[in-house]
Amino acid sequence: MSAATRRGGSLTHPARTGVALVLPAIAFVVVFVFVPLVAAVGISFTNLPLIGPWEFVGLDNYLLAFTDPVFGRSILYTLVYTLIVTFPILALGYALAVVVRSNRRGSTLLRTIFFLPYVIGLTTISFIALLEAQPDSGAINVVLAWLGITDGSTAWLVNGPLATGLTCALVIWGVSGLTMVLLMSAMQGVPREVYESAELDGASWWKTEWNVTIPMIRRAIAMSVIISVIGSFLAFTQFFILTQGGPGSETTTVVMAVFRRAFIDLQLGSATAMSLLLVLLTGLVTAVQMLMLREKD
Amino acid sequence: MLTRRGFLSAAAVASLAALAGCSGRLEPIDTTAASFRDGGQEGTIEVWCRADTLEGNQAMVEAFHAAQDRIRVRLTPIPNSQYVTKLATAIRGNRPPDLVDIDDIYSALFIYRDAFADLTPLIDALPFRDTLSPGHLALAQREGRFYGVPFLADNSVMWCNLELFDRAGVDVDEATGSFEGYLDAARAVAGLGGDVRGWWYPGNSSGFLGFVVQPHMWAADADMIQGAVGSQTGNVVGNEPARKTLELLHTMWAEDLVPQRAFSDDGALGPAEFLAGTVGMASCAYGNLVHNAEPGFLDGVEARLLVGPEGGRSFFDGGDNFAIPNGASRPEAAWEYVRFCLDLPQQQALPEGGYTPIRSDALTDDFRARFPHSVAPLEQIDAGYAPLSLSYNRIYNQPDGPWLEMFRRAVFSGEIDEAMSAAQPRYDQLLRQGDA
Repeated sequence: MSAATRRGGSLTHPARTGVALVLPAIAFVVVFVFVPLVAAVGISFTNLPLIGPWEFVGLDNYLLAFTDPVFGRSILYTLVYTLIVTFPILALGYALAVVVRSNRRGSTLLRTIFFLPYVIGLTTISFIALLEAQPDSGAINVVLAWLGITDGSTAWLVNGPLATGLTCALVIWGVSGLTMVLLMSAMQGVPREVYESAELDGASWWKTEWNVTIPMIRRAIAMSVIISVIGSFLAFTQFFILTQGGPGSETTTVVMAVFRRAFIDLQLGSATAMSLLLVLLTGLVTAVQMLMLREKD
Repeated sequence: MLTRRGFLSAAAVASLAALAGCSGRLEPIDTTAASFRDGGQEGTIEVWCRADTLEGNQAMVEAFHAAQDRIRVRLTPIPNSQYVTKLATAIRGNRPPDLVDIDDIYSALFIYRDAFADLTPLIDALPFRDTLSPGHLALAQREGRFYGVPFLADNSVMWCNLELFDRAGVDVDEATGSFEGYLDAARAVAGLGGDVRGWWYPGNSSGFLGFVVQPHMWAADADMIQGAVGSQTGNVVGNEPARKTLELLHTMWAEDLVPQRAFSDDGALGPAEFLAGTVGMASCAYGNLVHNAEPGFLDGVEARLLVGPEGGRSFFDGGDNFAIPNGASRPEAAWEYVRFCLDLPQQQALPEGGYTPIRSDALTDDFRARFPHSVAPLEQIDAGYAPLSLSYNRIYNQPDGPWLEMFRRAVFSGEIDEAMSAAQPRYDQLLRQGDA
């Protein structure tokens, strides 16, 4: 082995070529991730308002976050919301992927239809849901009244559990298309021979899915779950549009609590401390997920 | 060679330098300067207004452009819900507009952070100084100095449908003179049957409810926020006028005197049932009616100020103040525009856009004849009030604030004392945070 190779260079290019190639990426990460993160840590130790002077307050913002009942409740609510939506998104996404993974006639059309809600986006479908959930006039109530299930005057968005249920249903429908695409790609990568072997062994469809497909797309499932959980932890749009965190603070998510602290209370220092706690919490949950879902060699 | 420790230190220093840069203070404006009295300014001024009052502002700008050609106004409407954030961000970024037309209830947020110019010398020099709305001025005041000047009023008053009152045999003054009068009138009107109800309120609109319900408490000299900015606390538990007001509104709900839609009404449709002629009384602003009423509907409507549980009268002295942010590039031209807007002809034309003048001397015989529905607040302009607090937005205008939570629990569930007890610590906490 040559000296150049020992110092990290390749056999054909000097080390500085490699450094030059990754420098833009490093600069990007430093400027847009590292420096803001360090600045955020600095801001979290101040009482920086959106306007006016500021001073260092030590750990006060963190103590405030830990003792603020609304922030604590928002973390709990976000965890519950995440628990509610994660499995249905995975299950529905998996089922849709099973339907569209083959190249049968109509598969492309179905893929498009199933993926459409994700393309339309949570913002748009939340606004549609806002209109359709109105008592007496919204389509949801009209249909339920027509079916004889309710009298059509249900105020979905002013009742915590009902609003949560409606929002969860909306999100499960809206984002499972992404899970479908991720899992479908992985499923299409499973060698046909494996399925043929399973078939020769007399495995049923269920057994094939359980013993062949799922183990072979384990990485894709893990990635889907992690994306879904992080997305749920950062939920904001749908709640901001549909419930604005109410009634009371029953549907206030942690990001909404941070937003309010920053842009309604105008307290950036305190909001930044809350954000950093959210970053830590999200990182912790993701790390646990990765440990649980890692490949067992 | 840059070590890891050196790199981290440099990044930390750079971050703190950036943070320090955020504290840059805008240059205070000296409003005693002769340039404010000389006139003759030229150029284009940037004026921000809130979207809710765009119509009134646009009319002013057009009139100002027609009256002179030295100063042009570039008007930028900002959505109400984003106004505070956008203005704060512009000030933080050292790019404030020359003049802001700001919801008077939010004025203090900026005044107490030294963001607005001291306009006291200019206001004191106004020949009509004593006629200006005291409620607006109170929200622009800090330690005896004024950092904003009233521009237009948006007041909550009680509107009565005379046709329904006649059919129910109810007298307007008797009905609107006490809580008992309210209740008796609502029962009588609802007794007409069908879809007719006695009273209207939007039970799921935090800001709207703050606008139309609180004056009943203020009429009894009881605010739910007490103390001076910096050391404010909630005045919820033991606030008897507040308890009686919630009790009245709960009775209205429990006896089916309010449309069922009130439970989920977010105020987006305004007093729709009142405008449809199926509700006897509705508390709201003149602007809520004038733009949406069928032709001739307002001929059968009269307004009264809101009464307290033991008498007294009040109204929400809402609307806009003008303020000149420190650091504005053309403050003198901005003040010239303000002076134009405050002149009587412009003020007396405000009801055309759904607003009320902020000068009591606007109430002339001609004005009474042209705009009879704008008369009530001007006749008792001193009865107007709005709380001075840095936490008003958080407490009263946010759906997850303690005000709406308390209102809904008290009014729709009837748990009045429990709701007030639960609200007290939330008020205290938010006021403490806002004053920090």
